[in-house]
Amino acid sequence: MEIAEKVIETRTADEGLGSTVRQAARDFAEALAGTPQFEAFEQAAERLRCDQAAQDVIRAFQTKQRSLQVMQMLKAVSVQDQAELDRLREAFLVEPAVAAYLQAQADLTALCRAAADILSRHIGLSFAAACGPGCC
Amino acid sequence: MNDTLSVTLPADLLAAIEALAENLLRAEPIVHYHQAQARLEADQQAHALLERLSAAQADLRGRQSRGMLTQADVDILRMLQRDAQANPVIMDYAEAQQAALACLPVVNQEISQLLGIDFASLAGPGSC
Repeated sequence: MEIAEKVIETRTADEGLGSTVRQAARDFAEALAGTPQFEAFEQAAERLRCDQAAQDVIRAFQTKQRSLQVMQMLKAVSVQDQAELDRLREAFLVEPAVAAYLQAQADLTALCRAAADILSRHIGLSFAAACGPGCC
Repeated sequence: MNDTLSVTLPADLLAAIEALAENLLRAEPIVHYHQAQARLEADQQAHALLERLSAAQADLRGRQSRGMLTQADVDILRMLQRDAQANPVIMDYAEAQQAALACLPVVNQEISQLLGIDFASLAGPGSC
């Protein structure tokens, strides 16, 4: 039995991390999920999904944005199209469910950054930089 | 960065972060990384070589942006790179760092699966 456990332990070490680290990661996730910021984010996301007016302004803005993507890359968007895109963006941002979602996301982002900063300082490695998609 | 300073973390979340950090600091790749880092910091020759390499890289980038890059600049950089690659303390540090960093996405995956969002994306510095 001891030999079997040793083999398993060696294999997990080869993979880099043991089960205790994974459990500690899950415990951390549970603690984060219990914060007011995470709960507010979940509620705001659900409200956004169910809010027809919000979905309409999102769709209208995204449709216009997509239609202008190539022209934006060429820096050739007409004044009228840019004004329409700005108007749709403004309508999108002031929609209550969207505004609430963006605020909840910003609050959760600040919490996650603070948590990752503390973790990074403790372990001497940048957690977000190691896991992030990297800068463009 | 400033916005994170104003955030107050609940005690149970802080405790969970510290527990995760303690477990990570006992994980073999991260133990090896800190050992390799200590050996590098104690090795003046390796340390000086890395500083010269870093300075040469910065100098080369500056010359390149000014259109003043010469073959001699490139040769100096390549020579320093070869010296660094031949230095066992530096190479052990570089490999240990890579292995330690490779563990962190596994941790992030564990966290993100439970949350249903990508924790590291939210925790990152933001898109440029």
